[in-house]
This record gives sequence, C-alpha cells and structure tokens, in this order.
Amino acid sequence: MELFLMTLTTGVMVGGIYALVALGWVLIYKCSGVLNLAMGELTIIGAYVSYTFHSVGIPFVPAVLLTLMVGIVLGILTERIFLDKLIGEPILAVIMVTVGLSFFLKGLVGYIWQNDTRVFTPPVFSIKPISVGFLQISPVYLWSFILSIVLLIIFVCFFKYTRWGLSMQATADDETAALSLGVSARFVYAAAWAIAFMSAGVGGALLGNINGINVSVGYLGLLVLPAVVLGGLNSVPGAIVGGILIGLLQNFSGTYLDQYFPGGVKEIVPFAFMAVFLLFKPYGLWGWERIERV
Amino acid sequence: MSSVWLPCGDYHQDYAEDQGWWQTRFIKGKMILLLLAVFVGIPLFAGEYWMSVGTMVGYTAMGALGVQLLIGYSGLLTLGHAAFIAVGAYTSTMLILQFPWPQSLLDSGLAYPISIVVAGIVAGLWSVLFGLPSVKVKGFYLILTTMAAQFITVDFILTQYISQIGGRGQAFSLPPGTIKIGPWVVDNERSVYYLMAILLTLMVIVLANLLRSKPGRAWVAIRDNDIAAETLGINIVWYKLLAFFVAGFMAGIAGAFWVCNTAALSPEHFQWFLSLWLVGVILIGGVGSIQGAIFGSIFMVVVMELLQMVALPVAEYFPSILMDFAYIKDMAFGLAICAFLIYEPNGLAYRWWQAKNYFNLWPFSY
Repeated sequence: MELFLMTLTTGVMVGGIYALVALGWVLIYKCSGVLNLAMGELTIIGAYVSYTFHSVGIPFVPAVLLTLMVGIVLGILTERIFLDKLIGEPILAVIMVTVGLSFFLKGLVGYIWQNDTRVFTPPVFSIKPISVGFLQISPVYLWSFILSIVLLIIFVCFFKYTRWGLSMQATADDETAALSLGVSARFVYAAAWAIAFMSAGVGGALLGNINGINVSVGYLGLLVLPAVVLGGLNSVPGAIVGGILIGLLQNFSGTYLDQYFPGGVKEIVPFAFMAVFLLFKPYGLWGWERIERV
Repeated sequence: MSSVWLPCGDYHQDYAEDQGWWQTRFIKGKMILLLLAVFVGIPLFAGEYWMSVGTMVGYTAMGALGVQLLIGYSGLLTLGHAAFIAVGAYTSTMLILQFPWPQSLLDSGLAYPISIVVAGIVAGLWSVLFGLPSVKVKGFYLILTTMAAQFITVDFILTQYISQIGGRGQAFSLPPGTIKIGPWVVDNERSVYYLMAILLTLMVIVLANLLRSKPGRAWVAIRDNDIAAETLGINIVWYKLLAFFVAGFMAGIAGAFWVCNTAALSPEHFQWFLSLWLVGVILIGGVGSIQGAIFGSIFMVVVMELLQMVALPVAEYFPSILMDFAYIKDMAFGLAICAFLIYEPNGLAYRWWQAKNYFNLWPFSY
C-alpha cells in the first residue's frame, strides 16, 4: 500500500513536468498547426542552458528565469528562420522541418556540451526526503511539481486574460477571422514558439535535477508526444491531464511491471499504451474529431 | 499520367502500351546503359572505398524504397522504418546462427538465401502488426504509432531480450564464410556490392511493377483521398496493410543484406536516427517517385562522405573538428532537410524531370 502511494505521488509529480512541456507543444499546434517532433531537443537545450547558468554560480531560480529569456530568443529565432516560410505547406513538410530542426539542435547541443552527463553541483534540492504523513517524498519531486504547477497556472492565465494570450487564442480558433481583426499572425506564431521553448526549457531544467542531464532528458521530452496524443492534440486541459497520466503510467509500470519484463519497460509502456489507445479513441480524450468530406 | 515524351507522330494505341516498360528505344538504351554502369562500370573503375560507398547508397536506397512506398505512394506517414530493417537483420542472423540447418542445405549454400526470404516475410508481418492502427488513424497519430513500433522493437525487444541470447551481451557476429549463396561466398567489398546491386535492381523492378498495376493505383488513390477511394470500391484496409507488408518486406531484405556487409549486428545500427534519416532521404530525393528514393540516397551518402573528406584536411589545423564530426554531421543533415523543404520542396527528382524535359526539346524551346 505504501509502495502504491509512493508510486502514485511520484507519478503525479513527474507528470506535472510533462504537463508543462506538453502545454508548450499544444500551444504551437493550436496556433500554427505545426506538429513539433523536436520537443526532446527543446527540453535538452533547456536542461543544458540552465545547467550552464547554474554552474557559473547563479542560484537555481534566477538561472531558470534566465533560461526562460534564452528560450524566448531561441523560439523567435527558430520560428523566423525555419517555420515562417512554411505557413500553408502540406502537413508532412511541416512535420519534417521539425525533424530537421531536431537533428540540427541535437548536433548543436552535442557540439556545445559534448553530451556528457552533467549533474547540478551543488545540488539544488536537498537529498533528505520530506515526510508528509507516512509518505516519504524527495524534495526534488515536490519542488519540481510546485514550480511546474505555478508555471502552468501562469501560462493558462496568460492565455486567458492578457491581450497577447487572447490574440493567440483567436488565431488558434480561426486564423482568417483573427487576421481580419488586426491580429498579427506572425507575432502569434513567434509567441507560441517562444512559449514552447520556455516551457520545454523549464521542464528540462527540472528533469535534469532528477537524474542528471544527458541524452535521456531528450527522451523524456519525447514522452510529451504520447501525453498530447492521450489528451487530444488541441486541448490545453487534455495536455495537462495527458502529462500527468503519462507520468503515472511510467512510474506504475516501473514499479509493478519491471519484475516481469526486466529492462527498460518504463520507457516503452507510454508508447505501447498510446498505440493501443489510439485504436479505440483515434482523437485522444478531448481532441477535435475531424469530420472528413470528400 | 506518363511523363514520357514520345517522338513526333508516335501515339499510344492502348492502355498497355501507355504503361509499358520500354516506351521508346531511347529509354531502353538508357536503362541498359545504366544497368551496365552499375554492374560493370562501377566495379571495374571504382576502388574498394567507392565501392563501399556504393554499397552504403544501395542499403539506404533499399530502406528508402519502402519508406517511399508508405509515405510517397500510400500517404501513410512512418517514422519507425528502422524497426523493420532491424527485424529483418535479426531474423536472418538468428536463422543463420541458431537454426539447425540440414547439412545438405549448408553445403549447397542455401541457408543465407532462405534466411533473406524469411527475414522479409517476418519483417513484413511485424510491419503489418504496427500498421493495424492505420486503419483508424492517420497523419500525426500514425507517426506516433510507428514511433511506438520503433521504440518497442529496437529499444525494448531487440536490446533487452534478443541481444541477450547466447549470453554475449550486445553484438552478434557472423563467422567468415557463413554468408554464401550457392557456391558464391559473399565476403569482400566487391561481392557485397554485387549482392546489393542485384537485390536493389530486383526491388526496383518489383516495386515499379506493383505501382503500375492495380495495387499501385489503389495506393495512390488512398493517398490522394482515402474516403473517395473507399467510395470507388477500393478495400482501403487491405491495401493499407498490403502497403505496410510490402514496405516491411523490403526493409527486412535490406536488413538481411546489411548483415553481410558488417558481419556483426547490434541494436545501435537501427536507432530512431535511421528511421528519420530514411524519411529525410526521400524528402531530399523527392516524395512520390522511385528515382527520388535513389537520388536521395546517392545525395545523402555521397555528401556525407564528401563532408568527411573535407573534414580530414581541416582537422590538421583544428583537431577538435574530428572529435565533433558526428555532431557536425547531424547539424548538416538537419539543415539539409530544412533547406530542401523550404527552398526545393519537390526534391531532386523534380529537378531531374525538368532537366529531362529541357533536353527533350533542346535546342528548340517550343
């Protein structure tokens, strides 16, 4: 029973980080229709950038804020250089540009940081577990969860109440109508990419605190894809629920299935589950069901 | 449909003629010259090094043909093709190493040819298994299920279980002399190159024939609009799964061929990178044409070799470049994909087609 509760809390907390990254993904898709396969690389860039800031002596929270700044710049650059020219192109072209982008970013990250495993030193969070009732929670998870929930709330509020967020929502809803009302679509696309880079960056920084930074952080970033598919590609609440579900699934399979299928069952189960899930609900939990006409 | 320029006054009389292999004598001569160049010219004049580059091109093209069939002709987006190549490679290797072959088959050198065919069939069926969701989902969702195929097959089943057979850990190696077809032992660059050329030619012929017959037309109809195709009476479930089977079969053969090139096998050869690489190859070559897959393979492999050649002299002054070469290669590949998609979305095959048209009319522009 204790093991069950431990797994449950860890799953929800890691899932919070996935939800944050998934939110960035969904924003891009909703606003500009780009299906982004470079999410793993975005995450790993965030992890290394925050590590670099942290290693020159900047405390963790300002380092994360600086990472957010870098994310804004990188997001706008990426959108301007690579994706701006592809508006209105077929879906395969847009997806594959993000694949090209992921290769480019992967090479860049390797070139700059050599893909070594780096650990935040001194450790940002203490190793001593915090007791809540009879549960032992490691502070890394707790603080990561709190930070990602705070950021999630900030992002959702931004989306709902600010002028920029509303113009993004309008573009996501109906691009032509938004354009006729004076919303700059190019600005909205750039903003969506900036937010995606930011959320992936913070997600990467938090994930990097859990197990150290190396290529596997990029793989964890890739887990966002099953998360958004579970939630439905174009639903913000779906992304959050999907992220938490993937976190739970991953941790429960790690705890309970690993003894039957030794090896990396934890990494595989989200993808396997998603493949089966799509057979029954092809549009995820809250995705728009597209009615096709000839 | 056919983009062939006929000599003035020459008309096709019926459908069969329109779909014929050799429509003009020029085309026939050209193709024979091409075959001669591949089978005689390159082995005669190219050294060991360029022959191995040719083998690499052929292997890439074998994989890319399957991806071309799925993405370019049937509109089924796939990002997990390396999984099926891996299944083929492992099936073939396990058959050769573990299967109790009767001595007579071993002596007559039939073990490897049989294992190639079995590898193709197993990879094809495995591909159909992961193609099943395509009945209901498409587009991005299908990309994710094929990605699932990649991670489940290579990172889990092959790495964690199949590689552990025999307790050797990661890699399998084939003892020299095991790979022979009849009396012909495939063990040096030249023989591997010939095997590649034979297999690739066979594959191109089979695929081209499939594409100009009923399944090919059904695939193209499904790609263009699957609901319309269904109303035309095309069984889209059957044809989608058939596309997966054929693509998987080709991938399996490519994998079984790869074994004889490396004589060793480990899951690292079949990471997600390879799947993405193959899709990149057909994008650069041109989506929706067989030449495209081959142009793309030639372009990518040769450009990467040239990059390496440039890197070596530069490395004398900047030794760090050699260390970072893998990363530079990744960056170059990513930029190449992006640049092609943005500036040349029809790929190399379109340029080739334009050049052909230009010279058909040359020197009279009308």
